[in-house]
Amino acid sequence: MMPRKLTPLQALLMGLALIVVLFPVFWIVMTAIKPPTDWNASPAIWVPSKPTLINFQTLFNPDAIREYGVGGVSQAATDAVIGSLLASVSATAISVVIGLFSAIGISRYGNGGKSTPLVILSGRMFPPAAIAVPFVIMFSTIGLIDSYPGLIAIYAAVTLPFSTWMLKSFVEDLPREIEEAAMIDGQSRMMAHLTVTIPLIKGGLFATTMFVFILNWSEFMFALVLSYSNVSTIPVQLAKYVTATAGTLYGVQAALAVLAMVPLVIVGYRIQSHLARGMTFGAIKQ
Amino acid sequence: MGGRAAAGEVTVLNHSALPHTPAEAGTDSGTGVVAPSSAPPSSRAAAAPQAAAPQAAASGTAGASPAPDTPRPPRNGARAVALALTVPGQVVSLLVLVLPLLVALYMSFTDWSPTRGSLFDAEFVGFENYGELLVYDTRFIYAVLRTLCISVVCLALEFTFGLGLAVLFMREFRGKSLLFSAFLTPMMILPVVVGYIFWMLFQSNGPVNQVLELAFGAGASVEWFRGAPFAVLAVIITEVWHWTPLFFLILLSGLNSVPENPVRAAVILGASPRQVFWRVIMPMLKPVIIVAFVIRSMEIIKLFDEVFMLTRGGPGSSTETISLYIYKLAFNDFQLAYGAAAAFIVLIGSLVLVHLLLAPVRDQLLEGGRK
Repeated sequence: MMPRKLTPLQALLMGLALIVVLFPVFWIVMTAIKPPTDWNASPAIWVPSKPTLINFQTLFNPDAIREYGVGGVSQAATDAVIGSLLASVSATAISVVIGLFSAIGISRYGNGGKSTPLVILSGRMFPPAAIAVPFVIMFSTIGLIDSYPGLIAIYAAVTLPFSTWMLKSFVEDLPREIEEAAMIDGQSRMMAHLTVTIPLIKGGLFATTMFVFILNWSEFMFALVLSYSNVSTIPVQLAKYVTATAGTLYGVQAALAVLAMVPLVIVGYRIQSHLARGMTFGAIKQ
Repeated sequence: MGGRAAAGEVTVLNHSALPHTPAEAGTDSGTGVVAPSSAPPSSRAAAAPQAAAPQAAASGTAGASPAPDTPRPPRNGARAVALALTVPGQVVSLLVLVLPLLVALYMSFTDWSPTRGSLFDAEFVGFENYGELLVYDTRFIYAVLRTLCISVVCLALEFTFGLGLAVLFMREFRGKSLLFSAFLTPMMILPVVVGYIFWMLFQSNGPVNQVLELAFGAGASVEWFRGAPFAVLAVIITEVWHWTPLFFLILLSGLNSVPENPVRAAVILGASPRQVFWRVIMPMLKPVIIVAFVIRSMEIIKLFDEVFMLTRGGPGSSTETISLYIYKLAFNDFQLAYGAAAAFIVLIGSLVLVHLLLAPVRDQLLEGGRK
């Protein structure tokens, strides 16, 4: 197809689409910097005249907002932020390491090449609400409920299919003759994989790590049903804020929402060329 | 079983929808240590179109295509290495996917509830839960139908908008890469936050109503969360906003890898741009389109986070999806066994659905392979 220019009508359509796509993001960011008087104004205020960071401060110091004459939030979000970081980073590391080994094993030795997709597909289709039930039972029995190790184990396992399949597609892009050359040169198989395969898929490894981090950071349901008091993550905290105050602390909630989405958007732009591959288990490679 | 076939086909699709190096197809059966006996014929059949497929689409780090008869390294230790590499992943999958599935399956045949003591003492009731759900539980049946309706509407809209946008991106204009990133933004935001953002936008004094009043007069504002039609519409709008970028991304990468020669040939033979698009380009996009639909259907069937933030299934149960209903059964009403049965009905339904979705491309791919 010859590349042609946009007609004015098409340019207009694209402009409209851009507004629709970006407006919700604009709105949440604006709400996060609104002082309490602007939160629930009618008609709604689009851009605050006196932008403030008080909402973000309130997240870590619940009483900060009182200077505006508004009751503070019941609970700081500090624990949730630390919890989200701890759970996502550890689970991502575990998931990617195990996934990397499985990926090399499956693509180079054909292990589980036919049965594993079945398990993974079924696992992905099963409503998490139902898989959470046996987890609650099993974790209560072995004392892992409401604990970070339990949450990390689930996160890692749930994202393992994604890391395995995404990495597998990167390993398959690599001609196996490169490793075989190293093996003929006298390296053991394992050493050849460690010193040749892994450095050559560095870029893919980075993209996969970031992608799995996005998945873990976004996870909501397992955290919701497996956490009571010791464990908290940002998505659960956001839901709690909305419930606890009947949703009236708009600015503080929006600040937490912005805090939750900023790292993902940064990471997401960074690996945007690999997003399709991650989302489709490596079936689409661009 | 439908599941096995469906799973196999995804791999087939994975292999042939995108060209690999020819070497891989040749070596697959060579080093396969524990490869199932059915593997070689199907992978060879699917691998054949690779030769015809354009090399341009392969975007890997290395595009070398060495001869298939390179000397093999000694095979000693291959089995041990293969096991060492794959066992951790298999153990985790067993512990975290298969074991809970088995527990849930057993549970679904009992009348167990945590208030009644241990799971092992629970009474075995056979298919009673399943019968109850499929015949008498109108709330479940409505949740299934509602989820299916929402899914069909959302996927149709996401596909249409995504394709439209992808086609626009095949043209030249300034700031293309910046706009590309901008259009991907929604899918990078976590579902809970997307739900929260739209909950705010749809407030009765929120910006959506404000714009509606500006455009259509003072009476045009809507109470989005008071009743079924508007609450469901809010869920659909949220979901379409969130996931249209995925269709856009997948379809654009499909459009970019359409080979130029058939398109040129069609143009030379006098095809109109419209004919070129629908008769030449769209058929070649079919495998990519199906991948997009399969992936998205699997996800949207589980729709939970956004609805939880937007409406919690309310008012009443008017926006309740399958996942939300199961969640409420298990964690609000403690009917765990019943909820597990509901989940298995959904699982079997989804397996059938994915199988049906994949069927058309499988035939196409296999026929292509036999030429």
